[in-house]
Amino acid sequence: MIPEQFGRVGVLLMFALLFPAIPLIASYAFYRFRIRPEHHDPIKDATYECGVESEGSAWGQFHARYYLFALGFVIFDVEVVFLYPWAVVHGGLGFTALFEAVLFIGILALGLGYAWRRRALEWR
Amino acid sequence: MMRSAWLDPVREPTRRLSPQVLAPLAVLLVAFLALNVAIAVLIVSGRLDGHWYDFRDLGNAVQALREWLDDRTADQPGWLSDLLGDHWLSYIVTALIGAIGILSFVGVVLLVLIWVERRLIGRIQVRRGPNRVGPFGLLQPFADAIKLIQKETLIPRGADRFMFYLPPVLVFIPGLLVWAPVPWAPHMSYLDINVGVLYLIAISSLSTLAIFMAGWSSNNHYALLGAMRTVAMMISYEIPLSIALLSVVLFTGSMQLSEIVQWQADHNMWLGVLMPLALFTFFFSSTAELNRTPNDIAEAESEIVAGFHTEYSGMKFGLFYAVELGNAVAVAAFVGTFFLGGWSLFGLEEWVPPYLVFALKIAAGYFVLVWLRGTLPRFRLDQLMMFAWKYLIPISLLQVILVAFERSIFEHWDVPGVIPLALFTIVNAVFAVRIVRFWARFLGYRPERETLLAPTLTRSVGGLQAAQRMRTVR
Repeated sequence: MIPEQFGRVGVLLMFALLFPAIPLIASYAFYRFRIRPEHHDPIKDATYECGVESEGSAWGQFHARYYLFALGFVIFDVEVVFLYPWAVVHGGLGFTALFEAVLFIGILALGLGYAWRRRALEWR
Repeated sequence: MMRSAWLDPVREPTRRLSPQVLAPLAVLLVAFLALNVAIAVLIVSGRLDGHWYDFRDLGNAVQALREWLDDRTADQPGWLSDLLGDHWLSYIVTALIGAIGILSFVGVVLLVLIWVERRLIGRIQVRRGPNRVGPFGLLQPFADAIKLIQKETLIPRGADRFMFYLPPVLVFIPGLLVWAPVPWAPHMSYLDINVGVLYLIAISSLSTLAIFMAGWSSNNHYALLGAMRTVAMMISYEIPLSIALLSVVLFTGSMQLSEIVQWQADHNMWLGVLMPLALFTFFFSSTAELNRTPNDIAEAESEIVAGFHTEYSGMKFGLFYAVELGNAVAVAAFVGTFFLGGWSLFGLEEWVPPYLVFALKIAAGYFVLVWLRGTLPRFRLDQLMMFAWKYLIPISLLQVILVAFERSIFEHWDVPGVIPLALFTIVNAVFAVRIVRFWARFLGYRPERETLLAPTLTRSVGGLQAAQRMRTVR
């Protein structure tokens, strides 16, 4: 049963949401009871950039190299996850399974080699 | 003697303790020793074994409570019993107890370790660290919290206000949930699921999302740059991290954390000794996931102010800071669980409560993390990405193949387990050293062609020697 196995995660999740909420609410209460200050002015609310006025919004285009690495991550992480079930049962299987797994890792390495060759792993 | 006292500003002035202080301390020491002898007698006589008051494993007490509750609430149908099985009440009660236990452990550890980390880094950098608030500065974390909670909450004008508030709360979810599957003692584990390793990998990668939300919603160039760097680094180092854990799973044949520790206890063998390369890969990738030095490019203060939390101030910054520390402790716990034998210590866990052994291992791992932070400089982003993709991933894939072979041999070779394990330890150590050297040369590292740069600045300015000279002049 899934709720029986993972129900405890839900209980802990509840605590994980409550725990950081307490200091934030306390901070707000301090403001309500006028213990801490809250005086805004345009300079204070400006985007921080070491004293220089910020040029334009940060929500613009970004360099494509991050995208390449994200693609690589998707491929490799999924394939590593495929290897986990094999790793669990591997001890009980024979040498044929070992050979096949090595083949799979070989294909993985081949993909890595291809990405390397196409200079997709260069940070430029 | 005088010289060292002058040159070493770290040393606190020593005070002689008065007899009024010493006498109660001596009484306490004697009482403590007597208590230990009494406990040893209790353990030897075997009166503790399996009872609920067997404090060597708090799981026993919880199990007794669970049985007591089950006797009283058996066979009560309802939607809760449909959902959680017949023993729903004991299930919920034990879950609440465990959650409060984990939460209080993490909270106390955070308060203590903020102080420990700052003091240790102070010592490493030859200064004193916080020592004004309370004895030895012990109350410094409370002072920090009070200061942070009183700060004005600043939100930049251009920011996405809703998204700006979420990340400090969201980042706590992985920070706390990763503690669930940790085995503290043989029967003391909050969530003993059979996919523990996968659960860990899945949960720990959630923090990437919160960090990117923080960086994006700030609408600040530095923050977005820091967030992008973090995401790039975290996803890159997640692959070597999962491959390192893959070799652990391969050899123990289980993804259940308690079984991994049990395997190490049964074979009297730490997996970190058996496969040092996997230990190194895991540890290094974890420091990248943590954004700690040597891999703290996400918040490189000399380059991009504070990275993704540039715009965060007050308590929201405090939450980020706390989670970062908590994650460091969690990494120490997982290094202890996977590679250093968890709660087992070659039979000592029969005498000392296993959770204390485990806490000791956490403390040791955390000390290494602080040590790294105090000594190593920061890597460049491109160096880090290269290191993950071109170095760690290929060599850890090779390591996985080697470990798979060893596992097959271990299974099919009819000799006592000690012989193959000793053999594999040697083979793996030799392999680790050879492959590290070979792959470095393959990538173009030629140590014999490097010319050593003399530390001219240190030498000409003088460092400690200059300080010594100053003293003789005085």
